[in-house]
Order: sequence, then structure tokens, then C-alpha cells
Amino acid sequence: MADRLLFTKTGRARYISHLDLMRTFQRAFARAKIPIKHTEGFNPHPFVSIALPLSVGYSSQCELLEFGLLEGTSYEEVPERLTAAMPEGIIIHRCYPEERKLKELRYVNYIMTFDYPEGRPQETEPAMSALLSRDSLVVKKKSNKAKAGFTEVDIIQLVHSWRIECQSDTMMVDLVVSAQNPGLNPELLRAAFCSEYPEYTPDFVTFHRRDVLDREGKPFR
Amino acid sequence: MNRTLEHILPNVQKPARYTGGEYNAVVKEKNQVSVRYALCFPDTYEIGMSNLGCRILYGVMNERPDVWCERCFAPWGDMEEAMRREGLLLYGLESGDPIAEFDIIGFSLGYEMAYTNVLNMLDLAGLPLRSGERTSLAPLVVAGGTCCYNPEPLAPFVDLFVLGEGEEVTLEYIDLYRQAQEEGWTKEEFLEDAAKIPGIYVPSFYEPIYRADGTLESVDIKPGRGAPGQVTKRIIQDMDKAYFPVKTIIPSTEIVHDRVMLELFRGCIRGCRFCQAGYAYRPVRSRGPELLARYGKEACEDSGYQEMTLSSLSSTDYPDLLPLCDELLDYCAPRDIGLSLPSLRADTFSMSLMERLQRVRRGGLTFAPEAGTQRLRDAINKNLREEDLLQSVRTAFAGGWNGVKLYFMLGLPTETDEDVLGIADLARKVYFTWREYSPNKARGVRITVSTSWFVPKPHTAFQWEAQITAEEYQRRVDLLRDALKRDKSITYNWHDPQTSYLEAVLSRGDRRLADVLEWVWEHGGRLDSWTEYFDYQRWLDGLAACGLDGDFYAHRERGRDEVFPWSRLSTGVSADFLWRERELCYQSQTTPDCRARCSGCGANKLLTGGGRCG
Repeated sequence: MADRLLFTKTGRARYISHLDLMRTFQRAFARAKIPIKHTEGFNPHPFVSIALPLSVGYSSQCELLEFGLLEGTSYEEVPERLTAAMPEGIIIHRCYPEERKLKELRYVNYIMTFDYPEGRPQETEPAMSALLSRDSLVVKKKSNKAKAGFTEVDIIQLVHSWRIECQSDTMMVDLVVSAQNPGLNPELLRAAFCSEYPEYTPDFVTFHRRDVLDREGKPFR
Repeated sequence: MNRTLEHILPNVQKPARYTGGEYNAVVKEKNQVSVRYALCFPDTYEIGMSNLGCRILYGVMNERPDVWCERCFAPWGDMEEAMRREGLLLYGLESGDPIAEFDIIGFSLGYEMAYTNVLNMLDLAGLPLRSGERTSLAPLVVAGGTCCYNPEPLAPFVDLFVLGEGEEVTLEYIDLYRQAQEEGWTKEEFLEDAAKIPGIYVPSFYEPIYRADGTLESVDIKPGRGAPGQVTKRIIQDMDKAYFPVKTIIPSTEIVHDRVMLELFRGCIRGCRFCQAGYAYRPVRSRGPELLARYGKEACEDSGYQEMTLSSLSSTDYPDLLPLCDELLDYCAPRDIGLSLPSLRADTFSMSLMERLQRVRRGGLTFAPEAGTQRLRDAINKNLREEDLLQSVRTAFAGGWNGVKLYFMLGLPTETDEDVLGIADLARKVYFTWREYSPNKARGVRITVSTSWFVPKPHTAFQWEAQITAEEYQRRVDLLRDALKRDKSITYNWHDPQTSYLEAVLSRGDRRLADVLEWVWEHGGRLDSWTEYFDYQRWLDGLAACGLDGDFYAHRERGRDEVFPWSRLSTGVSADFLWRERELCYQSQTTPDCRARCSGCGANKLLTGGGRCG
């Protein structure tokens, strides 16, 4: 049976890509002298797999990594030892045996923060509400597989729930979206908002993954 | 993290290059240090982070509690554009602070095509390019690295150059800087004292005097500054006592040499007459095998790397190579850590070693015979015999390898068409060896012949030579291509001649070329070692605009009494020795390696213990 890590990825580590992060974990296990299972075959290497690749630049407090802990290390000592071997911004919170399959992971909760440093126009909130209240919102998504170079995605179909909270210079969208098969990258919502309401284009948008959830909306671990 | 940077990063390629925060990156409290040093590599992060010298200096400086050394690299074009648009100044990766606020900015100069990046980085830092326009003591702009054996094209931009190995002299000029800082010296005052530190060349204290024909009459010492008549490079006396970066930064993104680099020794016993490194890094100094084994293991433990490489100019010449490899293998094999050995000679010993090291047969092997005939290999003192090469490839093919790359140079002194065609013959012999010895011919074979255009370098036996013209290079390429066109198993690649020409211009160039560098940079030149950015015409236009003839530098043969732009700089190897080596070349006479017999190059005088090389 596989084991799991729960970790956060924030600060400077946000810019480490998915593949680079896997390599970083492989090395960090070696640095921390925590033996883990290797792949078999011609060129064996430490096996690690990170669920739901996070876009470069996003922060997250609920990343899951699958691996196999070998004998000699207890689950309790892994977080501290491994965190010490990590680059700045990666903190391991828990290490535990896997109890449920990744396919039971249904939703992801993102916090999108729209920054308006010069002051947020009042109309941004009703505009975002209107956009998310539509029956359908079909956007084009880049795809390397599709012949045309893009596929069409209906954002509304993939949004499970949402909530907006505004301050004088920010609009925060608390968004629960489908996690996989297919999942929704909240960047598509940002792009749709900016193309529907170019006059409300924010200075900058940050994306934070707050939690991963199961069917019942409970944290998936 | 800086807010502007945060806004830029999502829109640039590979943003992890610009964030810092890697494992083992050194972060200090800036109020607790006296000297802040920006160690700049004038190329991208992936290239610069692969440089062992920079890792050593980073470690040496940061061991000192009063110094904080940070890293800085050339941004890729998209990042540069964003930085200029948003007004973000070039910053140190560790703190994110603009390097213009630092005390010392140090560049590592490894190849000529990075020169425009030096100018661009100074400009991105918000600093004036020319040394004379930066009047205050800080930031002091210094440079080290192999190019400093003739740094003249960069002379007006850099306050001081460091010749040779930097471990000790860096701390010496930092100490002097601290004193200058505390006592409120002017930059001029600091430079006068710095020029007295062995190995430091302050270009503004020397003035080149030109004749009407463009050659140098002399390089005069400006009076009253106390600058030495000759600046001799620095070396580390005892490699066993030299700093080794056991604990070093592990990038969070992929770099070019992403592995433990174990430096066996410095210098090279071989004496290939074209090789600048072979002369400039003399004398040979080795680390002990026990110490190396320990360093290698510790570096693997600390880094988590799954790969280690032994590094030197010619690893087979390390006296204790076998016991060292055995000891390292005992450690690496059970941990699935790969051990690789580049810079091997094409002899039987090396091949048996390769077989032991490589558990997995990789696709290809690379050899550098450099020249196609024994006559020319003798002339350049590349002591490789055809029998040895063929014996090596025989072992390789019999052992299952099915690809060989062969590197040569065209335009070496004394080269004739016979030598050029000899390359084709040698490649064919390699092919026949495969036909005879490969256990599995069904898979086919890939033999790749690559030629580059020889660039004569300063401080070598060929420093007086003319580079052959582009037309002549092309003729020889065509000759060889024609000779190989029927051989379907042999692929022929030749190096693009444009950068080789500019390297020939810059490597033996004088101070007047600074104007060309500035012109090229002003007209958009940067990242010139990248085909995405390199524009040959821009360089030709720059030379023309400054009234200089590139051929004067590249294609002119110098006389024995030529005053070189680097005549005030010494590697410890005497010019008489180099001239003797050049004459031996014209007689196709070899010189034995330094272990077989000392040839009296002069470099052993750098060893203070009256010592022997080795």
C-alpha cells in the first residue's frame, strides 16, 4: 500500500514546476536519509507522484504526494526531517498510509484574489456574480491533443459552488470546482471575466489552492 | 518577495530561475554583514549554476560571517523585457535586493560570447557601463575566469581583473575593500592598493600605445600608481587544503550539469599546443584519493543527487584513478548513484574503466582526436595514436556500444589537405572496426564526425598564429564533406563559423574592441551564445562602425616580437617556452608529458615550496 504526504507550496516555491518538484522530492528524501521505494526496471529511480499538478505560480496548502516509505522511518518523524531538506516554501505537514484512492478526490477549493491597488470598482462584484450565475459559460482551452489546438469547456458545468467577498481594493472568489476528469483550472475563469468585462480587468490575480475535497465536500487526505 | 517580481514571474518562461530560495542557498541578515557581494555569471541560470568555480567562490565567501555573497544571472529575453518594462532592477537571488546597492559585483568570464551580457547586466542593474563613470568605491566591478588572461576588450568596463584561481585572492581584496570602506578611501585609492595584491590587474593603470598599423608599440604603466610591470596569476598551492563545496546549492529546476562534480586536479600534464586551459591552469596539482572519496560521498549525502561526475582536464591522468573509482563505486552502486567520467583519453585503460563504471550502456561515446593524421596530431602535441583510438572503439563496439562521436578541428597550424582527408580515413577505419567487431550489426552504427574552426588563443603555443580565413575553412569543410558523402554510416557536422570568427577577434583582441562591444550591445546584442539571439551582421556592423577590422585580430600572423595586448599578464608559463613549442609544431615534433619529463615551461616556479608539479 502507498503512503502519502500532505504539504504546502508557498512563497518562492510557487514557481517550481510540477516535474521539477517531483525531482526535488526525490532528492530531498535522499538528503533527509529517508529510504523510499524505487521504481523497477532498467533505470530504477525513487518513486514519487504528486496528485493534481498545480499550475506554476499558484500557492497551495493541500498538496498530496504519493510514495512508498521503506522500513526504518516512522511516519511521525518524516515531516520535520523532510521539510529541513526542502527548498524554501515547501512544508510537509503529515505523512500517513494511504486510506482511500485518489479517484475519490472530487473537488478542489481555490481562492482567487483579484487585486485593484488603485481601488476596486463597485461593479466588479455583481459582474462576477452574473458571470457565475449563467446557465453556461463556454470558453476555449488550449489543448495539445485537439487538432484545432484548443477544446471548448463549459466553466459553469465544472463549478460546484462559489462565494465572493470584497474589500476596497480586492475581490476574493472562493471557488469549488471539479478536480479531475475533467478538472477546471481557475485561470479560465479569470480569463473569461477579463474578456467579458475588460473594464474591470484587475492589476493582478493570485491563485491559492485551499483544499481538496471528496464527494461529500469533506477534506480528502 | 518583491511585488513587481511577483507580477512578472507568472508570465515568463521557467520562473524558478529568478526566485532563489533553493536548498542550501545562503541567507544572512544584511545588517550583520559588512560586505555584500553579487557573484554574477553572464549567462542564464542553467549555465551559471553548472559552473564549479562559482560554487566554490560562493562557498568560500559565505564561510566568512562578515560577507554575504549572492548570485545573479543574465535574464532570458522575456524576463529582461518585463524587468525593463516594470522598472525592476537586476537583483541578487538570495535577498531580492538590487545589486547596484551591493559593495562588490564580480563577474565570471568563461567565454567571449558572454561579453555583451556583462554590459547588459550592468545596465539592468542601473549602473553606468564604464568604470570611469562609476566614481564611488561601491559598487566595485571585478571579473575573474579564463577570459581574464586577455581581458582587454572589457578593460574600460571593469575596475579590476583577477588572474587565476580565486579562492584566496577574493578574500584578500574583500579585506582591502573593508579597510577602504572603514577608512573612507576613494575608489582610486582602493585600486592603487588593490593593484599591489598579486594576481590583480587594474586595467586603468595601464595604457596601450598603438602604432599607425594598429599593432601595439607598448603597454605603458601609468606613473605614480605603483602598478606592477607584470601581473602573474594566482594558484592554490595545496589542493588538499583548498575549499571543496560539499554543501552546495541544489537548484529546484533543471540545470545543465545537475550532478555532484568532484574536481580531481587542476592543470594538465599533456601540453596540447592549441589548448589554453592546458597552459593556463599549470602546474598540475592533485587532491588525494582518500579526501576525494570522502568529499564525493559527503556531497552525495548532502545533495541527494543520483549522479556524480569526476571533473578535470584529463581524468585518466589522475594517478590514483582506479582505487578512487573502486571506492566511489562501492558507495554509489548500492544506492543507484551513477558515476561518470568525462575527459577520458581514447586508450585501452580508459575503456576498461568505462566498462566498469557504466552499468547501463549509453548510446554513444565521444573521442577528440582533434586531427586526422598522426603527423598533424604530433604537430599539435595531441599524444594520441591511431592504434590506441582504434583499440578503444574496438572494445566499445565489442562491448555493445553502437555510436561514436569524433571531434576534430580544421585550420590547425601546418594543416594540409592530406590532413583534412585523413579525418575521413580515420572515420572509415572506425566504421570498419565496427563491422568487424560489433556483435549485433542489425542495429546499425552511428559515427559522427564534427569539426570546428580552430581559434588561436592567448598564452598558447599558437598565440602568434593566424586563424585561417572563412573561405579557406569552408573549402576544407567541403573537401571533407565530399570525401565522406558516400559513407552512409558517417554523419558529418561542422561548427558554425560565425561565432568562431568573433571568438578569434575577441580572444586576442585589444582595448579598442570595447567600443565594438558597447556598439553591439546598444544595438540589441546580448545572449550571443544563443542562436535565438545571436546576430552576426550586428557584430560586423559594430566593427565597421568603430573603424576596426576583425581580420586584423583573427587572420593576422604575429611576429615573435609582437607586443600582445596581454603582455603584462602572465600564466607563469614563459613566452620563450611557448615559442619553442610553436617551432616544434612546425617540425611535427612532440613534447613529452609533464610526468615523463619536465619541459621547463616555468609554471613550477608558482609553487612556493620549490615544489614539483603533480
